[in-house]
Amino acid sequence: MFLGRVVGEVWATRKAPDLEGKRLLVIEPLDESRERPADMVKPVVAADPIGADYGEHVVVAFGKAARVACGGDGDFAFEAAVVGIVDDFHVPTAPASWRAEPGGRS
Amino acid sequence: MLVGTVVGQVWATQKEPTLEGLRLLVVQPYLLGGAETAETIVAVDTIGADVGERVLVVYGRAARHSIGKGHDVGFQSAIVGVVDGMDLGGKRVGQTAAEDD
Repeated sequence: MFLGRVVGEVWATRKAPDLEGKRLLVIEPLDESRERPADMVKPVVAADPIGADYGEHVVVAFGKAARVACGGDGDFAFEAAVVGIVDDFHVPTAPASWRAEPGGRS
Repeated sequence: MLVGTVVGQVWATQKEPTLEGLRLLVVQPYLLGGAETAETIVAVDTIGADVGERVLVVYGRAARHSIGKGHDVGFQSAIVGVVDGMDLGGKRVGQTAAEDD
C-alpha cells in the first residue's frame, strides 16, 4: 500500500474480460527515493473504483486488498487499486515535489 | 500493474509443465519521463500482443488467474491488455512509441 499521485489515465480495448468497465489510472508513487527525476519514475497502473481525479493524491492497495476493494473475491486480472483519496498528509521529511503539480518536474 | 513496451519474445523447451503452450514476451517498463530503462520483465501473453506495442502487465495471483483461467500455473507476470493510449496530463502516449506526442 502506498501514497501516490494521479498523473494520467490509460485505455485499452484488447484486454482481459475482468478489466471491462474498469477505469485505469496512472499513479506516480511517492516513495522514499523522494527527489528521483521524473524520467526515472516507474508509474503504477491501478483500477479506480472511487473516482479520483488527475493530480489528486491517493492511497493505492495491492493484491487481494485491491481486488476486494473492486468488489471481487480475489480473482480479478489486476492487483492494484485506488482505495482512498487523500485529503491531506503530513510528512515532514517529504520534498516539495510531493505537492508540486504532476509533470511540474523532470 | 504497470505499462511496458514489448521488446521481444522468449522460447523455452525445458520448462515447468504448467507453462506448456504459453507465449512468453519480454517487456520493458514505461517511465514517466519517457526515458529508456534497462529493466526487463518476462510475462505470459494472454492477449496476443506484438513487439513494439505498449501493454498492461500484472503480477501475482492476478497474473496466474489470467493465465490459468482458474488453474494454478508456475508464473507470476502476465500481459492482460494492449494499451490504446495514455493521457498523462495532456501528454498523449500512444500504443507504440511512434504514436507519442
